[in-house]
Amino acid sequence: MSRTPLAAPAIILALALLSGCGGGEDLLLGATTSLQGTGLLDELVAGFEEESGLEVKYAVAGSGQVLELLRRGEVDVAITHSPEAEAELVAAGDGVDRRPVMENEFLLAGPRGDPAGVTGSKSVAEAFGRIAAAGHAFVSRGDTSGTHIREVAIWRQAGIDLEGAVWYQESATTQSQNLLVASDKAAYTLVDSSTFRVMKDRVDLVSYLADSEPNLYSVIRANPERHAGVKADAARAFSDFLLSERAREIINAFGRDQYGESLFSSLAVPSERVAP
Amino acid sequence: MGLVWDGITEAFRLIFTGDAQVYEIAFLSLGVSAAATAIALVIGLSVASFLAFRAPPGRTVAISFLNSGFALPPVVVGLIVAVLLWRTGPLGQLHLLYTPGAIVIAQAVIATPVVTALSTAALQGLHPRLRLQVLALGASRWQAAWLLFREARLALLAAVMAGFGAAISEVGATIMVGGNIKGETRTLTSATVLEVQQGNFETAMALSIILLLLIYLVILSLTVVQQRRPPA
Repeated sequence: MSRTPLAAPAIILALALLSGCGGGEDLLLGATTSLQGTGLLDELVAGFEEESGLEVKYAVAGSGQVLELLRRGEVDVAITHSPEAEAELVAAGDGVDRRPVMENEFLLAGPRGDPAGVTGSKSVAEAFGRIAAAGHAFVSRGDTSGTHIREVAIWRQAGIDLEGAVWYQESATTQSQNLLVASDKAAYTLVDSSTFRVMKDRVDLVSYLADSEPNLYSVIRANPERHAGVKADAARAFSDFLLSERAREIINAFGRDQYGESLFSSLAVPSERVAP
Repeated sequence: MGLVWDGITEAFRLIFTGDAQVYEIAFLSLGVSAAATAIALVIGLSVASFLAFRAPPGRTVAISFLNSGFALPPVVVGLIVAVLLWRTGPLGQLHLLYTPGAIVIAQAVIATPVVTALSTAALQGLHPRLRLQVLALGASRWQAAWLLFREARLALLAAVMAGFGAAISEVGATIMVGGNIKGETRTLTSATVLEVQQGNFETAMALSIILLLLIYLVILSLTVVQQRRPPA
């Protein structure tokens, strides 16, 4: 008898053992990188697990990837910050019940001394125009993250064609990693205010301008009618939780201890205002 | 350089104050990579024995495939394992994605070719007549295999160390299939990535040093076993 037939039973046995530790009933959440990078994700998940008794597993990626996982029904619920892409997904019926959860700002950060002279710009679009005119280095997320989508929209608004622009570089990493790259290259970059606050002391960049539009984080559920495996009830419970008083407190308090200011502001209606 | 020093001090502080989270992460890393190495070893020794002793036709091609496994890109493994484990994937029913089990699978896939290729070379390095002689002396096939494994133990344990090394040092596939979930699938490597992302370079450095220490302890134990003189 040769010993190779052992391999097959070994794999089957291993898979059987492994499936014992699988979490078939757990809620799968897709979340954007700035949530994990700031540390808010762990607090929200812990709060929800404690309140609901459910277990949450999560995949963290740029909004584009998270929304694609949601479209495929590979996650039950998602928190992303890419309003246009989210609206498209809902319009196509691949996501349901989109609700704004919280917001922060997009900031234009750049090297000290403002080499491209963006100070005094009336909008980020105008500042982007100055960076392009100066041909100063700009580092982009370059993925389909919410920040990148917003950045591309601003370039379009500014009427700048990036084709062949040597000063425009794409780092394609997480929000905070991108900031480190920009700092190292003494480049300008667009960043959400929470990540910037967390990273401020570790990068040699200053914030020059805030975007006119808020950076909106929303929760969307996968469409249970399209995907049989989706945990619709748990997803709804999570979505409700994010807009509850408890989550509002977690979100608004987050960062105060460590940074002396909150990093995100919840869009949940405070309960005292709900009661007439 | 200051950062490295801070990292070392912080690492020892975490170790000696018995930081619960760090210990949990370290044990998870160790457990997951040990399981992956064990799976790789079972498959590796089986396949290596077959290839080395049976010399099947097409052996060179098979070995060339195994050898290219040394360069098996973890990100490719992560992607394939993730897609297989998706709810809509062929193994979706196991509900393994974003669990330690998924990391074990990904790391086992990465470690198996390494262990198999090195084990095959180790067993091929034995004198070709040795197996026949052992069998002729009346050993059963299992006894013969055990004797031959012991004969090749220096190289076989090197294969185990290489497999374990490939598994525990991996991060791309680990994050892709594990999700880097706090308290569940956060390993020393993925925790380090997260700390770097958060700009906590001292903590990241401390975790790196703990990882290096852990690797050294495991490799040291394996090396002691490897270098021990077998009882006569």
